[in-house]
Amino acid sequence: MQAYLLEIIIVISAIALLLTEAFITPKRKYRIAILAILPLTIVFVLNVFAVAPSEYNKEMTQFYAWDNIARFFKGFTLLATILTLIFTLDYRRTLSKFTTRPGTEEGTGEYYSLILFACAGMMWMASAKDLVSLFVSLELTTITTYILVAYMRRNVGSLEAGVKYLILGALSTGFLVYGIAWVYGATGTTDLALIQEKITDQNQNYLLFGVALILISIAFKVGAVPMHLWIPDVYQGAPTPTTAFLSVASKASGFAIAIRVLQPFMESGNQVLSSKFTTIIAVLAGATLLVGNLAALRQSNFKRLLAYSSIANAGFLLLPLAAWNSDSALASQHAIAFYLGVYLLMTFAAFFVLAIIYRNTGSDEISAFEGLGRRHPTLAFMTTIIMGALAGLPLTGGFWGKFFAFESAIRGGLWVPVIIGFIGAAAGFYYYFQIIRAMYWRESLSTRQIRIRPISYWTVKGLTIAIVLLGFFPKPMEWLIGEKPTSAEKAPQKNQDQPVAVNTAN
Amino acid sequence: MASLNDYLFISGLLFAIGLAGVIIRRNIIVIFMCLELMLAAASLTLVAFSRFHASSESTLPHYDGQVFVFFIITVAAAEVAVGLAIIVALYRARQTINVEDLTSMRG
Repeated sequence: MQAYLLEIIIVISAIALLLTEAFITPKRKYRIAILAILPLTIVFVLNVFAVAPSEYNKEMTQFYAWDNIARFFKGFTLLATILTLIFTLDYRRTLSKFTTRPGTEEGTGEYYSLILFACAGMMWMASAKDLVSLFVSLELTTITTYILVAYMRRNVGSLEAGVKYLILGALSTGFLVYGIAWVYGATGTTDLALIQEKITDQNQNYLLFGVALILISIAFKVGAVPMHLWIPDVYQGAPTPTTAFLSVASKASGFAIAIRVLQPFMESGNQVLSSKFTTIIAVLAGATLLVGNLAALRQSNFKRLLAYSSIANAGFLLLPLAAWNSDSALASQHAIAFYLGVYLLMTFAAFFVLAIIYRNTGSDEISAFEGLGRRHPTLAFMTTIIMGALAGLPLTGGFWGKFFAFESAIRGGLWVPVIIGFIGAAAGFYYYFQIIRAMYWRESLSTRQIRIRPISYWTVKGLTIAIVLLGFFPKPMEWLIGEKPTSAEKAPQKNQDQPVAVNTAN
Repeated sequence: MASLNDYLFISGLLFAIGLAGVIIRRNIIVIFMCLELMLAAASLTLVAFSRFHASSESTLPHYDGQVFVFFIITVAAAEVAVGLAIIVALYRARQTINVEDLTSMRG
């Protein structure tokens, strides 16, 4: 099956769900989520067996890359979307409180199909090999997430978060388009594979300007420093499933396009450009690590803490990107893919715990965790593992993620960001362990039993087990990503013999 | 006839005005207009490059840039539709469209 059909299936099922929504009674809107998980699972399986569009299909191959990076990021997005839908199933009571006719679920039906549209956009981003398709798919994702953030329109926090996200998102779109215009002007093409051949000494300054502008908008997408200001407020105000979706899927697709955009410049052999981009990204990584970790230290709200943790993680993820040069391309992409894989497990688990605590205590504060060790020992134990993994405790998956990131940065000789990263990781131990301290060393005033829905309970359990297993055996993940060439989801026999650069250049 | 540099200067100016407006102004509608100005600046840059790129082989312009402008216009329209809806919803809830009043979250 040709790869571009994957997105087409997702878009068609999203439209079909939007139409079906009209015929489902207001009390049963959650059925749309269950219906939506079905095509996502099918596409997740098909993603493993998909093949590149044929050479003769020029209209497709010009805009659509199919390689190991695309396969990995598509699988990643699909998994994140499925988890978001499961999360929404659990969260729908809160969501329905702030939409049309509070309490009836009547206004929640569109939420599920919007997530599918965003998913399709992110899948296209993973395959974007032309600046035009990159722009359009990025906007499909961004505009859909504006709605997802502001979805609880009877809640002032959600609306404010929506407006803030809208303004900064539109600003980053402006930077992206202006940057693309300059890259186009300098090279006369929007095809990323052709740009590599057109880098000369005359146009490299224009290219530097254009790509720097594009990098600003990528920084918005991944939550890195010059454009990180939206993260805390938007994460706090948005519905929690949207927050988890933004934090995982949106960040990952930001890195997917970062890899796509930087590839022609990092591997062109033009020393001036590649060394300048290395410096720019290393500075961004250092600043992001500093801001994210230091600001997280003084948070008392768990949702905001996770927001700053998401900024800090963007910093760790930028390290291998900065260490990218033509020799270490595979190692860098591998480190990014591994980190993202572990990050998905940890972050979703943390947000599920947050939602459970919120439903039981009505609060996002860290103080809401007090006494959890006695009130629900199993959940407290799982939360301990999740927080340990986020901090990078050895024997959890989080440790290997940080290990590979630091390894590639050290090999790239980026000492200053690496030292900042070590300080940040040490700070991480402090602020993540605040939660553990609250759970075991503080007594709770309430002794009411913590109630968890089975679906959340088993999802958190599964994610926690996966985190621990990855800590003991990081190999399965490497095998999943594809050890030899680069990142690829689940044993890509067909692409094994083709290096990425060749594949995108056709 | 105006040269490529003239167009680039004007579009750079438009972009700078838009960016300054986003940073300085406090009314969300005005900020939104400034954001549209930035997109217009990018469109003008693209069209200018597209017109002046052709030179060597033929007198036809290099059409990629002009087609891209259509994509930008379409996306901008979608963005405005969603954006204004969110701003209207915010106005109904808060009776204000001033960014300085958006302070329900702190930390």
